[in-house]
Amino acid sequence: MMRAFFIDKDAVAHWIRHLARSHTVYFPQRAGQSGFRFKPVGETTEIQFDRYHPTLSPPGKKLTPAEEPLFRYRKRGDEAPELVPILDRSPRILAGVRPCDLKGIHLMDQVNREGHGDPHYLTRRTHSTLMAHDCLQPCDAACFCDAVGSLGWRENADIFLTSIDDHILIEVQTPAGETLIQGMDFPVCQEVASVKARAEAQRAKPFGRQFHADLARIPTLIANQWHAPVWEKHVEACFSCGSCNLVCPTCYCFDVHDDFDLTDINAGQRTRTWDGCMLPRFAEVAGGHNFRSNPAARQRHRVKRKFEYLTERFAEGSFCTGCGRCGRQCTTGIDIFDIVNDLIDHAEANS
Amino acid sequence: MSATPYASDPTIDPALYLPRMARILEVTPLTSREKYFKVELPEPLGHRPGQFVMLSLLGVGEAPISISCGPRTDTILEMVIRNAGSLTQVLHGLKPGQQVGIRGPFGSGFDLEDFYGKQVLCVVGGLGLVPMRSLIQPILAQLDRFAALTIISGCRTPAEELYREEMRAWERLGQETGKVRVIRLVDRTQNLPWDGQVGLVTAPLPSLPIDPDNTVVALCGPPVMYKFVLLELAARGLPHSRIFVDLERRMKCGVGKCGHCQINHVYCCQEGPVFRFDQIAHLPEALQ
Ligand SMILES: Cc1cc2nc3c(=O)[nH]c(=O)nc-3n(C[C@H](O)[C@H](O)[C@H](O)COP(=O)(O)OP(=O)(O)OC[C@H]3O[C@@H](n4cnc5c(N)ncnc54)[C@H](O)[C@@H]3O)c2cc1C
Ligand code: SF4
Ligand code: SF4
Ligand code: FES
Repeated sequence: MMRAFFIDKDAVAHWIRHLARSHTVYFPQRAGQSGFRFKPVGETTEIQFDRYHPTLSPPGKKLTPAEEPLFRYRKRGDEAPELVPILDRSPRILAGVRPCDLKGIHLMDQVNREGHGDPHYLTRRTHSTLMAHDCLQPCDAACFCDAVGSLGWRENADIFLTSIDDHILIEVQTPAGETLIQGMDFPVCQEVASVKARAEAQRAKPFGRQFHADLARIPTLIANQWHAPVWEKHVEACFSCGSCNLVCPTCYCFDVHDDFDLTDINAGQRTRTWDGCMLPRFAEVAGGHNFRSNPAARQRHRVKRKFEYLTERFAEGSFCTGCGRCGRQCTTGIDIFDIVNDLIDHAEANS
Repeated sequence: MSATPYASDPTIDPALYLPRMARILEVTPLTSREKYFKVELPEPLGHRPGQFVMLSLLGVGEAPISISCGPRTDTILEMVIRNAGSLTQVLHGLKPGQQVGIRGPFGSGFDLEDFYGKQVLCVVGGLGLVPMRSLIQPILAQLDRFAALTIISGCRTPAEELYREEMRAWERLGQETGKVRVIRLVDRTQNLPWDGQVGLVTAPLPSLPIDPDNTVVALCGPPVMYKFVLLELAARGLPHSRIFVDLERRMKCGVGKCGHCQINHVYCCQEGPVFRFDQIAHLPEALQ
């Protein structure tokens, strides 16, 4: 049975700064006027639990950097070259992760473990501890985590925090979480159920934006609409810039290229970089044929990946976590939430 | 520090993206754009017909390339590479003795079990002959296990024909055994000498003496080819469950991770590139 503690926020902030002495701890911190970013915590970092706006880049991206070396090589004439895989085993704590992003990491775990496990992601993941934080209010008008089943997601957190007024409930969910609490002299919470009930009473209801249909029906509703006019409508203003891919916690596509060292022509590395299915040449093959040359086809692919293709492949309710980032970042305001609702409406109108 | 959720997971292979080094034994030009490569691996590849490898040069890059030879117990791998871009251009300049990187084999491939006892019909366009050879070779090697083999191979002009001598050897085998038929076509002769037929690969299909109830088809060619061949096969009464298609997609990893090869919810590098057609016929992006 894992333990729980109920302590005041200052003590929790102190604890997180204490952990940062021995680990790289990422915590959402102010960046610019209204933005937040997951940045390493230092001795004096302000640890603020409540004033939170979703970070531009989701915390899960710390497990798959935008540019990541896969291996280094050194050629040795006629002999076989030396090849060294680059695996990042540095311990890290992702703290202050909200349920939508926690779910995002859970989904990326599924993707990276399937079939041939991705050694680079799984190595970082193995050396990462997740300290999540519940949401009692939607972060802003773009959020729709409840509609896709992310609100209340907590299963893969090592530690789960819930803020109630000026206190925080710390629930330790795994042995990895237990090691973080070691040496801390926190009083054990005896009435977890009633503390949680208090938090639940404070939770906004309804929570954020809701779809016009139950999540369980959405994959089928969307599957039957290959030719719906909705695709064309929402792509009208799209630049195919790929920003929506860039900020999404469940976009993981990559490209691979080689670099050689400028100082040593025989040495270098193979690197992968993020790629995005909204970019025009993503599905082009040699000879110039492009399997999704039309921007509407690319938008359809992106939406169906989140709500139909990957959900089917991995038996998950939704691969969109409802974080709202793609809608917030799109310069022309294209929002996957609106696309899905339009698809639902269109399906209902034609049934 | 932390308990490791995946530390004991046997599927973690730190070398997933590391190529094994192979030595080039032979490079022969087949046409002005395609070269045949024979390489020697450190150990046998252990592949099935229709699978592919990720071929790379350190410092240059990596690309998916079909395995062009049938399954074999030695360490030889044969490929045919078209000079199509940055990596393949550098590959074309390589000489015997030099090294290339190989990962794989990857993908589904053909299962010979599906073809035993059947009349086998292979329809290939252009470079499609390259992977199809990995199926044709093992069929020819144990011909008595198959009812017949018909190969329809088309390319644009006589100058673009691949495996010229070998196809004629297959034809001769047909004359001896009566079980093999090779129909070679070009779209146009361009005034070059040509001993085959002129027309599209679909042209021979309507009059082909095949038994639709005992025929299995394998198809590989450029994207435009499939639609027309499939229409002709449907007209001949061939069910989708006895047609296998070998599809091409952009591929960056070969192991189901980079997302490039997705056909709707299917990963072409994992479930494909060879598919039984009835399993993907309903996917809107399968053939477009
Ligand atoms: C399963 C499979 C088997 C293949 N088998 C063969 C074969 O046996 N012989 C052969 O010559 N070619 C084969 N190809 C095609 C070959 O992979 C491409 O020609 C190769 O990627 C070009 O690499 P490049 O670096 O020389 O070209 P680049 O400079 O990268 O690009 C040239 C063109 O290729 C496209 N392209 C880039 N990357 C890829 C990619 N990963 N996959 C497809 N197209 C891409 C570009 O959009 C551009 O149009 C196969 C492709 C697949 C998917
Ligand atoms: S961010 Fe907006 S404009 Fe850019 S590709 Fe996505 S939908 Fe299109
Ligand atoms: S699709 Fe948009 S809202 Fe959904 S998880 Fe990705 S970025 Fe967030
Ligand atoms: S080639 Fe990368 S997912 Fe298939």
